[in-house]
Amino acid sequence: MNIKRWFSVVGLLLMVLWSQTGYAETIKIGEINPLSGRFAQQGLEIHQGVKVAVAEANAAGGVGGRMLELVSRDDQSQPDVAIARAEELCGWEKVLVLTGGYVDSLVGPISEVAKKYRIPYVASASLQKELVQHGNPYFFRVARLQGFVEPLCEFLTEKLRPRRLAVLSAATPGSTELAQDLEQCLKTHGLSVHLAEKFRPGTPDFTPLIGKLANMDIDVIVSAGFSPDHILFVRQLKENMLSPKAYIGPFGIAYESFIEAMGADADYLYSTCAWDPEFTLPGTDAVSKEFIQRFQRLFNRQPNTTNMHGYTSARALIAAMQHVLYRGQALTGDAIRRALTEIELVLPMERLVFDQTGDPRYYRHVIVQIQNGRMKVVHPPQRATGTAVYPMPPWEQRK
Amino acid sequence: MIKSIKSRIKKLTFADSGLVLVFLALLLLPVLVGYNDYILQVLTHALLLATLALSWNILGQSGSVSLGHAAFFGAGAYGSALLSLESGLSPWSSIFLAGLIAIGLGLVMGLACLRLRGAYFALASLAFVEIPRVITDNWDGLTRGSLGLAGIPGLPSLHLGSWYLKIGSSITASYYLVFVYALGLLGLVGFLFRSNFGLALQAVREEETAAGSVGVRVDVFRMLSLLLSAFFTGISGACYAHLVSYIGCGLVYGIHFSALPMVLAICGGRFTILGPALAALILYPLDQFIFHPLLPAGHEFLYGLVLILTVLFLPAGLWGTIRKNA
Amino acid sequence: MWTTVIVSGISLGSFYTLIALGFALIYGVTRNFNLAHGELLVLAGYVAYWLWKSWAWPFWLTFPAAMVVLLLTGLILQRIFSRLKEPLELNSIVFSFGAAILIQNGMLLCFTGDYRLIRVPALHQGLRFQNFYISYGQFTLLFLSLLVIGLLYLIMQRTYLGKALRATIQDKDAAAMAGINVAAMGTIAFSLGAVLIGLAGPLYGCIHYLYPSAGHEVTLLAITITIFAGVGRMRGVLLAGWILGLSESFAVIFLGASWREMVSAVMLLTLLVLKPRGILGNKP
Repeated sequence: MNIKRWFSVVGLLLMVLWSQTGYAETIKIGEINPLSGRFAQQGLEIHQGVKVAVAEANAAGGVGGRMLELVSRDDQSQPDVAIARAEELCGWEKVLVLTGGYVDSLVGPISEVAKKYRIPYVASASLQKELVQHGNPYFFRVARLQGFVEPLCEFLTEKLRPRRLAVLSAATPGSTELAQDLEQCLKTHGLSVHLAEKFRPGTPDFTPLIGKLANMDIDVIVSAGFSPDHILFVRQLKENMLSPKAYIGPFGIAYESFIEAMGADADYLYSTCAWDPEFTLPGTDAVSKEFIQRFQRLFNRQPNTTNMHGYTSARALIAAMQHVLYRGQALTGDAIRRALTEIELVLPMERLVFDQTGDPRYYRHVIVQIQNGRMKVVHPPQRATGTAVYPMPPWEQRK
Repeated sequence: MIKSIKSRIKKLTFADSGLVLVFLALLLLPVLVGYNDYILQVLTHALLLATLALSWNILGQSGSVSLGHAAFFGAGAYGSALLSLESGLSPWSSIFLAGLIAIGLGLVMGLACLRLRGAYFALASLAFVEIPRVITDNWDGLTRGSLGLAGIPGLPSLHLGSWYLKIGSSITASYYLVFVYALGLLGLVGFLFRSNFGLALQAVREEETAAGSVGVRVDVFRMLSLLLSAFFTGISGACYAHLVSYIGCGLVYGIHFSALPMVLAICGGRFTILGPALAALILYPLDQFIFHPLLPAGHEFLYGLVLILTVLFLPAGLWGTIRKNA
Repeated sequence: MWTTVIVSGISLGSFYTLIALGFALIYGVTRNFNLAHGELLVLAGYVAYWLWKSWAWPFWLTFPAAMVVLLLTGLILQRIFSRLKEPLELNSIVFSFGAAILIQNGMLLCFTGDYRLIRVPALHQGLRFQNFYISYGQFTLLFLSLLVIGLLYLIMQRTYLGKALRATIQDKDAAAMAGINVAAMGTIAFSLGAVLIGLAGPLYGCIHYLYPSAGHEVTLLAITITIFAGVGRMRGVLLAGWILGLSESFAVIFLGASWREMVSAVMLLTLLVLKPRGILGNKP
């Protein structure tokens, strides 16, 4: 045998040996968020939460000795791009699991793609009831609409009892459904809605609507719009000197950035919140603190509830994967899916248990009110950190 | 007969052999790409866009440029989705019925707007699409309004005797279904354009007054072309709904589905049969595979650029110019 | 309530007028529909935003800057528009549609799709009257629209250039035969129109959120108002703007906020179907 042939044989042998040493390959976790476009801010926040969870797991040695690799994509806040990214991650990158997602018009299409490829998808922020009603065994989520509606309904019927109530919604699936479900719930408790209106998110001028509200003598306004809508609406309420007894914005108010943008005008506004550095689920103080510290180190600011949603969804997947490996099973999509239905985690945001349809059984917001630039929990009484100021002092008496 | 076939083969041009290659590539695509789902999905979407462009061009053949074809696309998508979700109809039937709904919408639009010519018709179509969009968005009782529709059943299943093929759950099967639809539509469009109907449309487009004076019922032909165009656009919309299983108003009535068929048809060649389809098959994969990774934001500039270049330098479209010089 | 609605309707309408003026002028003189109008407006807004945000320019200074940028852009566009062959109106629609896509994606690339807003606190203070409130911002819109319309009117009626423009609007061929340089008129119309867009852009950026696809709605508004006013009638543009603004405000009261968007579309369709030459007639 001549030298050349000898070398090629040895080379081949070495290659075979090398591939067998099994340098542990990474576990690919796919993530699709709106990192640009209309929902860029929230999408980025979810992405940050997911990163913290992955960093945490990798710092502890990974899952089953294998490191986690986060493959992130941007859906640009557009459904058709979300579909394309999901196809790419599932079909091309061949990720093992999927997470992330903000707003149902983006999560919905992604969940259908995940179902097609049999890849478990734990969505970080999804509300629409319908997504879990069509038998998608691969779809899970760490949030759900009832978590918003039930505390709001309770708060309105037990604490506020408004005479004339207006419920406004933005023309998006989550907002519309919240308004509808809230109306239903209120009706069963004997409270009727006097004005229900839908507006386009990003409307430039609410003055005609405000005129209508003034004319109908509305005392409590619930607006399922988003931060930009609240900023404009409250400002125009102030300009027109219309002082409702309460203004409740389930989305987009319980955020540091909103309070900063509004200044003193944010006071007395109500909202719902799943988690905040100042109030976490009883018994989760240690986990919450560790999350906050790691987040501060990575991103140099305080985390908010949206970050926590991303963290929670990733934690669920990591726990499920550990569950599968602990049982000595192979890490496949179906095994992880089954594990997800069995896990029970106590996390800062909620006690995470998925029901048969993929909804989180114990997801529930608290009602907060902004007082002196800080959020105070005002409902339920067991978790309250302050008392509600109702009615809101009229604009003339405020500075 | 052998002689005539031989002479036909001699007349085959470079372009024709290119076409044969394209056809073969599409036919064997799943095998060629190793059943890669992502590539198949992109090509399925490209074929669907081809059907959209072909349908648009049926109207374009009569001289009307529509900037609001998403109205029919959305009506078809919502129609079929709602019928199959609420009434449990098989997608075969709901897709067809959705086409009929689109025809209804086309009739309304035609009665209102076909009196307008050229630019004014284009502007009217731009405005028209807002109407079904806002109505669908607000009519919560019927369409679930802004909620969108989720969990739409997949593409229909095929029963042939005891053989049962669930197309919806197989990406390859979905690809072939859309491929067959595209081929069928192509054949139909080819037949139409070469028939007396097509000649009449051409006459209406080029010399309307002259056509009228020789007895061509101009208004009838323009309406027919609009209705046919609406029908197939609606069917494409319905297929889209079953392919992606989740639709919303902003998506299916959006400017994206109004602009693309128009861009593809004009760049491919408004006065040709194959042009629109070829443009879809070339531009969309180009956009998705090459430009999108390079420019995650703004990659759609490609369509704008190609449209501008076509209007300025190649008014007959790419395929139209190739055909002319053949 | 009604005074609030009327005040907001008129100020909104004045805003729409400012938005539409550039489009109406360009269409009137050159018969080119510029479907990239909305995107150009948003571009002007972005220029103002960028100067205000990254270079800390005072807001009022961004106006001339935006107008200059748009002037240059307008001249480039005009070069290309003049190359279009017959049928002019249709080809201009198709070409400008492509330009709109191009500009929109260019903005997406440069500025990302995040929603931007120019915050000018001064504009949000205002004057209180007995039963309504008018902000300085709304007042500025009303004042500016009247001022600009007034200036345009003076130019069109009192100067030689204006007479030449009006002649071109009325009948291009006759104007050419009378010795008017029609091509130069086209350039001037584009320039003037672009400057008007540059004026409206920063205003848009402080009232609306700026994002790349915002242009579509703006274009639709501009088309509606132009057709309403009739070809070349500048005064008609103000009236048309007010009517549109008031209609939208009343639609919110009577039908609900969710029907606001359909108002301009329905109005445009009705106009095109009933009177494509404009409600207010054809005489400039």
